[in-house]
Amino acid sequence: MAVCIAVIAKENYPLYIRSTPTENELKFHYMVHTSLDVVDEKISAMGKALVDQRELYLGLLYPTEDYKVYGYVTNSKVKFVMVVDSSNTALRDNEIRSMFRKLHNSYTDVMCNPFYNPGDRIQAFDNMVTSMMIQVC
Amino acid sequence: MSVPDYMQCAEDHQTLLVVVQPVGIVSEENFFRIYKRICSVSQISVRDSQRVLYIRYRHHYPPENNEWGDFQTHRKVVGLITITDCFSAKDWPQTFEKFHVQKEIYGSTLYDSRLFVFGLQGEIVEQPRTDVAFYPNYEDCQTVEKRIEDFIESLFIVLESKRLDRATDKSGDKIPLLCVPFEKKDFVGLDTDSRHYKKRCQGRMRKHVGDLCLQAGMLQDSLVHYHMSVELLRSVNDFLWLGAALEGLCSASVIYHYPGGTGGKSGARRFQGSTLPAEAANRHRPGALTTNGINPDTSTEIGRAKNCLSPEDIIDKYKEAISYYSKYKNAGVIELEACIKAVRVLAIQKRSMEASEFLQNAVYINLRQLSEEEKIQRYSILSELYELIGFHRKSAFFKRVAAMQCVAPSIAEPGWRACYKLLLETLPGYSLSLDPKDFSRGTHRGWAAVQMRLLHELVYASRRMGNPALSVRHLSFLLQTMLDFLSDQEKKDVAQSLENYTSKCPGTMEPIALPGGLTLPPVPFTKLPIVRHVKLLNLPASLRPHKMKSLLGQNVSTKSPFIYSPIIAHNRGEERNKKIDFQWVQGDVCEVQLMVYNPMPFELRVENMGLLTSGVEFESLPAALSLPAESGLYPVTLVGVPQTTGTITVNGYHTTVFGVFSDCLLDNLPGIKTSGSTVEVIPALPRLQISTSLPRSAHSLQPSSGDEISTNVSVQLYNGESQQLIIKLENIGMEPLEKLEVTSKVLTTKDGISVSGFPLSSPFRQVVRPRVEGKPVNPPESNKAGDYSHVKTLEAVLNFKYSGGPGHTEGYYRNLSLGLHVEVEPSVFFTRVSTLPATSTRQCHLLLDVFNSTEHELTVSTRSSEALILHAGECQRMAIQVDKFNFESFPESPGEKGQFANPKQLEEERREARGLEIHSKLGICWRIPSLKRSGEASVEGLLNQLVLEHLQLAPLQWDVLVDGQPCDREAVAACQVGDPVRLEVRLTNRSPRSVGPFALTVVPFQDHQNGVHNYDLHDTVSFVGSSTFYLDAVQPSGQSACLGALLFLYTGDFFLHIRFHEDSTSKELPPSWFCLPSVHVCALEAQA
Repeated sequence: MAVCIAVIAKENYPLYIRSTPTENELKFHYMVHTSLDVVDEKISAMGKALVDQRELYLGLLYPTEDYKVYGYVTNSKVKFVMVVDSSNTALRDNEIRSMFRKLHNSYTDVMCNPFYNPGDRIQAFDNMVTSMMIQVC
Repeated sequence: MSVPDYMQCAEDHQTLLVVVQPVGIVSEENFFRIYKRICSVSQISVRDSQRVLYIRYRHHYPPENNEWGDFQTHRKVVGLITITDCFSAKDWPQTFEKFHVQKEIYGSTLYDSRLFVFGLQGEIVEQPRTDVAFYPNYEDCQTVEKRIEDFIESLFIVLESKRLDRATDKSGDKIPLLCVPFEKKDFVGLDTDSRHYKKRCQGRMRKHVGDLCLQAGMLQDSLVHYHMSVELLRSVNDFLWLGAALEGLCSASVIYHYPGGTGGKSGARRFQGSTLPAEAANRHRPGALTTNGINPDTSTEIGRAKNCLSPEDIIDKYKEAISYYSKYKNAGVIELEACIKAVRVLAIQKRSMEASEFLQNAVYINLRQLSEEEKIQRYSILSELYELIGFHRKSAFFKRVAAMQCVAPSIAEPGWRACYKLLLETLPGYSLSLDPKDFSRGTHRGWAAVQMRLLHELVYASRRMGNPALSVRHLSFLLQTMLDFLSDQEKKDVAQSLENYTSKCPGTMEPIALPGGLTLPPVPFTKLPIVRHVKLLNLPASLRPHKMKSLLGQNVSTKSPFIYSPIIAHNRGEERNKKIDFQWVQGDVCEVQLMVYNPMPFELRVENMGLLTSGVEFESLPAALSLPAESGLYPVTLVGVPQTTGTITVNGYHTTVFGVFSDCLLDNLPGIKTSGSTVEVIPALPRLQISTSLPRSAHSLQPSSGDEISTNVSVQLYNGESQQLIIKLENIGMEPLEKLEVTSKVLTTKDGISVSGFPLSSPFRQVVRPRVEGKPVNPPESNKAGDYSHVKTLEAVLNFKYSGGPGHTEGYYRNLSLGLHVEVEPSVFFTRVSTLPATSTRQCHLLLDVFNSTEHELTVSTRSSEALILHAGECQRMAIQVDKFNFESFPESPGEKGQFANPKQLEEERREARGLEIHSKLGICWRIPSLKRSGEASVEGLLNQLVLEHLQLAPLQWDVLVDGQPCDREAVAACQVGDPVRLEVRLTNRSPRSVGPFALTVVPFQDHQNGVHNYDLHDTVSFVGSSTFYLDAVQPSGQSACLGALLFLYTGDFFLHIRFHEDSTSKELPPSWFCLPSVHVCALEAQA
């Protein structure tokens, strides 16, 4: 259902990005890259709120003609961005949330891997992401 | 209306639109000079009131936009200023006519107009006209500003009258319905008397009056009118105009809240004195609205500020207005402009998120088919607005789209320059700097995919611009910084195109300055290849300079009086980090080893790779290399020749890869390992080249002393074989050789190998011929067959120490070593040695059991005997007759005199000397005919005491003379029967003591050759005198003789046996000393 899933480091460079192979990959790169403006804005707005009450889910970042871009930020400022097809109306906010939570868990697993160097591109992520991208539709 | 004004902002609503246009042929330069001056009069404080008029000038305004003037009065062209050249009165009527034509275009909305005529002189100029101003030329026109001010005041009068006119319309009169161009046909045939229609007319008129008030500087009044208009229009669902009324409300509120303006660069409004419009609006203005017929109550409203929207409300109302506009397809421009205005307000409010929503909406507003230029404008403005709200990435995205639009395929003349310029502006948005240094630290942190794309576009744009140097720079940058992200195919492609570009324009290390003030720093290819290790190499051992020991000592002593001081060590600590403790020599090739690897999936050709150094004049000798695809660490040696002396620092290296020159400094390379890069260069020294008559060998000696051997010679010899080795030294350096010292050292003489021929002398000759011999020495206990096949080795080193030239004066020398490796194979062995006495007392027979341990047939010969043929592994006995040796006569060894050597050593030396003597006497040689090799064989080690004694000549030498003829061995002395034969016995004492006296008896006998000796010869032999001889005591080296005579009576063979009297021989002397030769006398018939 998701057409593109990206994990972005604290310093705003991609740790992982994968999109449906049928589409132009660069397009999603641009889409996710520009969505960081919104993420930054939302985070800076949240910074004013109490830290412990912070909601990790950022909600819809922005819609485009064909897609909706959702965001999620961990406490360590690692961002998850998911692009979904806007024609997919079945997708509710709650489902998006749960997908992000799943993504976050997988990311935590990756971080727990003693052989992973924080800051490197994430390699072992594909299975989970693929399942999230195929699921439903 | 189809042309949006992307620069619009909320405060434009209070401006009066004046169009300034040229008529006829006016040069652009002149026009804009005047236009600029006109534009400077952008606000006017109206006489007698505190109201301020704002003017917006345009030199171009589409007339169809003018048609929307009723909808929003700031869109209406109210003033026209035309500028024209006119040089003769003849042209004047024509010019004036043109002015009128121009007026017609905006005719319906114009309040007033002016014509500025330049160049005309004469009587026409004299006539005072309000609408025409004459100036002799473009320089002499000081009154332009004044004229404009007058013009604006006249505009104000019209505006004010219109405002009052509209406002005082009797409520009973029919209020005309204002409408926008596309509505006109909708209202045909509508019931104009309905309440609904009237309300609509009223609402629209209110909105219009509000606009006029705003333009006339009456902010508060406008707010009131807008409010009322909103109420009216809301009730009749007149959405388009409701939107306009709401927007008007927003505009007025924005003007109130943000006196600084929202328009950014154009919005820097100047205020006269300290009078802010907000203040001014708050002031009571008597009579301002007294005649307002629509709602006479407006003036009574208290707390006018409450009519003003709060900042939050402004946005809500904007949203509402835009939602109404969006209902009308024809109002796209209005909606778009409203969005932009709202965004500007939000930007000031720092509410980026909401602003982005407005912008997002603006993106989706579809206007009619836009021209390419308009698209560029649209994307650029979107980019600017995103930048305004801090969305740099989004801004960069749109700027990039705009850039791409500049070169869209549909455009006949693509604007590559503009495209390139816009692309450069997107760099910060993609957090991309064009300085490779920013990428050298740590791993790449950035959005590689989009950055790469941008770089590719920069490359392409710069190429199309016709600036290949730029493309090369960008492409180099791409390759250098994005290498990790390029796929194998991309790497190939990029490298390929880079090579194509550089074939026309090679890449340099010069920074490229762009017209925009940006400078592109050079991009050294530090990753092509990647250098991991840099190591300065010492000179090869044979060329390594050494400091003379004595001089070194002096140096140390001048620095400090102490042999060791921790303070010195501390001082040197810092230097040691970088300085390496060996030296290079001026004029000699020096090497630096780099460990490199090629990250590319194809063979990488690196050309012109050389060293970058400082401190010393250095001639770098560049190398070209070809690294295999994705090679592992690959050693590369860069060489150069220091031309002067001093301290040289290797700063980096330069390469040419894909036609791009790179200077890579070690300091900028990440993760490089270096063991120091500074080394001292000492003055030039001569260079010796060694060549030998024997081929060089790979076998290298590793002496324990740590010296390195430069040349090695290896030779295989049979035991006892000699080999001549000619060593040729050639000075191939530029400096003269002034000193040469030759020393030699035998490293291993294990297994009992001795060497002769060492040490050498004659150090000043250019050619030295040492002779090396491996001589077999048989340890007595090695008489087992297994030992014979044992190969023994001999290693020796020849050292040539030399110096000369300036290096010599500085106290340096060089050391050249020649390693000799000799493998000694066994040849012949003597397994046993014994002696047999010979017939002569002076001689004896040496019996040798000779064993051939080679695999070849071998002949053994001695000086005297016939050659003996031995087959492989065969053992034969050979007998050699040798003269006995007189060892006592050997000169004393010099060591005996010079120093107190211990007796054991002396004995050893003596023994050795004996061995040598015996050896040379015997001269045993072997020859292997099949190999054509020959050598000597020695018996030295085999000679035990017993054998030696046998070989030794007794110290008492006895000579027997018959008739004065010495008589020995087989020699037969002849005599005649009847004649007395003289017999003389002589003793020569060679022993160190005195001997004697002795008594000797001569016993004649006949040998019957059958084992019977006949001693009974009294009848046949008679003594003349006594048969006993007496010898006196003989002093050392003295001589004594005794004489007697014999008379043979019959013919026959006689032997004389000379015997010592038992009592006369001293007991202490060994019997072998008293060994007299036997005498054989043949008595013949007396001659007749």
